[in-house]
Amino acid sequence: MTLLNADLTVKGSQAAMVERIALRVAAGQSVTLIGETGSGKSLFAQAILGTLPPGLHAQGTLHIEGAPVALDDPKALASLWGHAISVLPQEPWRALDPLMRARQQVAEVHRLVAGKTNAAAAASEDLAALGLGQAAERYPFELSGGMAQRLAIAAARAGGGRIVVADEPTKGLDFARRDEVALRLRRVTDDGGALLTITHDLELAEALGGEILVLRKGQLIERGPAEQVLKTPTDPYTAELIAAEPRHWQKSPSARRGTPVLSAQGVTVERGGRQLFESLDLVLHAGEVVGLCGPSGVGKSSLGDTLLGITAPATGRVTRSDGQARMRFQKLWQDPPASFAPHPALGKGLEDLMALHGIPRDRLPPLLERLRLEKGLLARKPDAVSGGELQRLSIARALLLDPVFLFADEPTSRLDPLTQKEVIQLLTGLARDQGIALLLVSHDPDLIASATDRQIALSPMLSSK
Amino acid sequence: MLLSIGRSLGWRLAQAGLVAILVGVLSFAMMRALPGDMIFRIAAARFGYDNVTAENAELVRSQIGDPAGISAFLGWIAGLFRGDLGTSLVTGETVLAEIAHQFGATAELAGVAILLSLLIGPPLGLWAGLHPGGWFDRATVLLASVFKATPQFLLGLVLIVVVAIGMGLLPAAGHGEARHLILPGLTLALGLAANTTRITREAVVQARDSDWWRFARWKGLSERQVVLRHGLRHVAVPVLTLIAAQFVALMEGVVVVETIFGWPGIGHALVHAVFHRDVPMVQGTALIMGLAFVLINALADIAARVLDPREAAQ
Repeated sequence: MTLLNADLTVKGSQAAMVERIALRVAAGQSVTLIGETGSGKSLFAQAILGTLPPGLHAQGTLHIEGAPVALDDPKALASLWGHAISVLPQEPWRALDPLMRARQQVAEVHRLVAGKTNAAAAASEDLAALGLGQAAERYPFELSGGMAQRLAIAAARAGGGRIVVADEPTKGLDFARRDEVALRLRRVTDDGGALLTITHDLELAEALGGEILVLRKGQLIERGPAEQVLKTPTDPYTAELIAAEPRHWQKSPSARRGTPVLSAQGVTVERGGRQLFESLDLVLHAGEVVGLCGPSGVGKSSLGDTLLGITAPATGRVTRSDGQARMRFQKLWQDPPASFAPHPALGKGLEDLMALHGIPRDRLPPLLERLRLEKGLLARKPDAVSGGELQRLSIARALLLDPVFLFADEPTSRLDPLTQKEVIQLLTGLARDQGIALLLVSHDPDLIASATDRQIALSPMLSSK
Repeated sequence: MLLSIGRSLGWRLAQAGLVAILVGVLSFAMMRALPGDMIFRIAAARFGYDNVTAENAELVRSQIGDPAGISAFLGWIAGLFRGDLGTSLVTGETVLAEIAHQFGATAELAGVAILLSLLIGPPLGLWAGLHPGGWFDRATVLLASVFKATPQFLLGLVLIVVVAIGMGLLPAAGHGEARHLILPGLTLALGLAANTTRITREAVVQARDSDWWRFARWKGLSERQVVLRHGLRHVAVPVLTLIAAQFVALMEGVVVVETIFGWPGIGHALVHAVFHRDVPMVQGTALIMGLAFVLINALADIAARVLDPREAAQ
């Protein structure tokens, strides 16, 4: 039985934002839309949910469980939420009501949406099935990320909707949690639901199977069974997307190691009175790219702060090479928008930096060119450029100071795969060319393996390979 | 949670002690700084302005000594530890008895003002926040600005002129019946409601913009259900904190409004005590107001912790 049957176009005031796409999802089937930010994959889902941004509207037909629904009637679409369509939230720990206990967040759906009389018992059953039985009376801030994820799934599905829409369900998750999400989503189709997933995470798409639709700039590029599309893509763009996955990157040759720039002897780092790791020895040389990996909370960022001299180690010694100004030990931040002042134009910040440190103005244009940044960007504010451009600008900003050491703290975790590949390649290429010691942090082992010359793995007990 | 409430109460208790000392010192210093002969003012209060003679003043001085002297201040501080706020220099009654008499009237007025402001502000703010940018929202911004900018003495006079004199609906002054409470209560409440409307509106807009609000809708709850089950609780926290913070403005307003409407409360008494240079009365009244402020904030703290478990966990 076809649960979801959509044939629609998303239009702006003039042009179509998403060209016509027709898809059917039957009970037990999974359909995945993949593409970059701006490909229109989220707009398609928003059209079905009736949550398109102002100024956009959908045209076409939509049938939910065989019954037609008007695409231009937001109220009719909203009345499907929970009852017919379950929507899984992005970043579930922000989607849960912070002031309500776990069981209550599920029970209210059983009672008010599904109309059950024994809502509390039904909620307890759901929580127990997801291994949350002990957490029923806790508030969201008392749950781990994984528990919040499972609670959000239980709450989203309690209304009984058989169609499940998941928009970027793995956004911001580390590896272990990604696998769990894939598992939970597969459970949807196993139980006879219809699953529509929107993601740029190809590993998730592969794990879900079913049909895949590849979108680019609002157009359907390619569609077919997951296995076929991902293994033998027919469109060059699909191939490019697949090649952008860190596990498919070509390993670049390492540069010649220069002189030691920075060394740590027996360094122990504590945070909030808790010891993160102890007796770390490490030497970084000019021109080498070193990967730093480990689970979240293990102290990767704290190690960076210690190496940069922002915080002092509890014990041990950090030695920065003689005669180098502190300014030449620099950091790249994880969240590009957060590392730029929001209001002044981007160029203003760079000008001030050059004026402050007496850097000749003619240093900037070649750097921008090298990082493939248009000069016109400098007149804009941070919210008017893309995340990739912003991160490349922050690389330019760091390079203006002629660094000998760069600590890059998950510099691409918020970027699309294609952008990520571009930024990482530029960054590692520059480090090798200019003899910068680069310490690159990532939670993605594939990225670390293919982008760096050697790796340091931090675990609560430190091991170095 | 109990532990954290206990810790916060301990902090508030220390604050109360500090308030008592500061209020005592400052009101004493300010009374000393006022121009004119204190003894003559006190004599005028006792015998009437026309009957102030050098002999009367001398009589007063022989009874009470120097009210601005350091020994009077030390005596007051020592009395604090015994729970004794001294005696009024004008009536000879103990300050505690005088204040106990007036405090009830003020509490009644302040309570009605807060209640009225809660009946006006949060419902308007809720509606404005649920329809941001609409005509209703814009109208409440305008009204809130007007009422916030209008001084209470002016607002009180306008209400007296229009409602009491013009329409003859309510009495302009008096005490003892419910209808006497309405105009002074409303004068105070409109200023307070101007703030609660805006804060409620902001809190609602913020809540509606949050991921949890959207997700609650996606779960299948109607807008109304989300407001009632999730929204109100979130909105209550900042509104409650605001009410406690507004207590200072309320006390300030009480002084003005009680004077205009002839309400026999603590604010009215304070004004008279200042005119009559009744130092212990000024100190005592200011102290009670200060302590009430600390108490109200302590209660708001506890309520916020009950409403928002994250507060308690910190």
